[in-house]
Amino acid sequence: MNQVSSTVLSCQNLYKSFPGDRKRETIVLSDVNLDITQGSFVTILGQSGGGKSTLLKLMGGFLSPSSGQILLHGQALKGTTPEIGMVFQDQNLYPWMNVEQNIGFGFRVRGDKPVTYRHLVRDLIDHVGLSHAGKLYPHQLSGGMKQRVAIARSIAVKPDVLLLDEPFSALDVQLRRRLQDFLRTIWQETSTTIVLVTHNVEEAILLGQKLIVVGDRPGQIIEEISSFAPEFRDRYHPKFLELQRYLESVLERNSTINNNEQYQEKMIPSLQK
Amino acid sequence: MLVAIWEWVGSNPANPVTQVLPPPSRFLPVLFESDFKIGLGSQSTSIHHSIFVTLLRVFSGMTIAFIGSLLCGMLISLSKWSELFILPILGLIAPIAPIAWVPLALVVFGISNLTAIFIVFMGVFFTLTIATVAEIKRIPENLLITAQNLGGNELNRWRMVILPSILPGVFTLLRLNFIAAWMAVLAAEMTGLRDGLGAVVMTGRNLFNSDLILLGICIIGITGFAMDRLLLLIQQKFFWWRV
Repeated sequence: MNQVSSTVLSCQNLYKSFPGDRKRETIVLSDVNLDITQGSFVTILGQSGGGKSTLLKLMGGFLSPSSGQILLHGQALKGTTPEIGMVFQDQNLYPWMNVEQNIGFGFRVRGDKPVTYRHLVRDLIDHVGLSHAGKLYPHQLSGGMKQRVAIARSIAVKPDVLLLDEPFSALDVQLRRRLQDFLRTIWQETSTTIVLVTHNVEEAILLGQKLIVVGDRPGQIIEEISSFAPEFRDRYHPKFLELQRYLESVLERNSTINNNEQYQEKMIPSLQK
Repeated sequence: MLVAIWEWVGSNPANPVTQVLPPPSRFLPVLFESDFKIGLGSQSTSIHHSIFVTLLRVFSGMTIAFIGSLLCGMLISLSKWSELFILPILGLIAPIAPIAWVPLALVVFGISNLTAIFIVFMGVFFTLTIATVAEIKRIPENLLITAQNLGGNELNRWRMVILPSILPGVFTLLRLNFIAAWMAVLAAEMTGLRDGLGAVVMTGRNLFNSDLILLGICIIGITGFAMDRLLLLIQQKFFWWRV
């Protein structure tokens, strides 16, 4: 019962298809069922073009499902809502606004008066470590700084769920690792429910409490691993490496996922420690 | 260098070109000798007044066209039907040279400031409106989605995202169209207006005074160049971003 009441976002029998060639429909997602609980960090792992970004856009209300439904707090989701924030790979900062204005944009576009949100924006800028860059414009920022601004802009309006579509994929390894730590800190401090889509296995294991693997088209959930143990926060831990290898093999041969039941039986108890 | 060659060629009074194309040392003193006034008697007008009224006409026409095209372009973009029906009409009118509107403007407005402003407007408005629609189309969808996702209503999205996104592109085109507007206003002033830089050249023609014609042409060139630099400065200062 508790589990049901704490579900913030729920995908039920979700199908999505797009018109293809010769009046044929291309099925992108098929029978996706997924519950996301309040305050959790969920990572969705899948290969490029496998439908995971489509799933995220459906969850954000940017697309409508062909069939099935998405529930936000038990109510059917109809279009976008500020309760679900979205961060894209290309940060989509407004180039004519400086960092402060970009972070405060969510308040401004809703018609709030600056006096009501100025201090919140200032706190947030400090929080994301950009206090020295408040007056800089996006073209003066590094890729990592831009991504921090985009995340800050989304969490400024306190969404219940924050969706991130491969936010670090264009960044170099060092920067990506720093931002992964940053995102984890943000999640721990704000208790925002986070859903992150990635094709990077290491990132998916490191960040997620719950890991969903989406198979190739038609995209469907082929693996769901919950309750990550502390060893999965250490990328050099043997269990981490073992899971990483396993997930890589799952992605390569997602059609053979059912043949790995023996491995799953071995793996899942160790995750639930 | 060019002025030096011109001066050297024109220094020989026997050269027939000198009669048509007097050197700067011959026509520039006209400014001081006439106390910066052009024309005869009560019909004379000062050079700085001529520059001022020409600039006033061209900038009035361009400002009205700029604001009008932004509004019209945004209104057209609101509906696919208006894009389908209105854009082809604009595309049909845009290539008409501004000078072709002069006879119609004279019939409607007579010889007045409005004629010149109307011709500048017609030379710029249609091109800018088409550009506005094109600029709206090329706004990255995610910029709009982000505003929508953050809870912005339709009006605020147009005001805070779409308008700033298109302003630099449309202003750049306005700057490029300044040359056309500048030529259009001069053509309008040559149709009988008493003042303005076009009228200076026409006065020179009426008096068979090639010094005055050359003086007018030089002022037109220098003022046009200065205005282009001013517009570039405005573009760099206020509309520097690209989406």
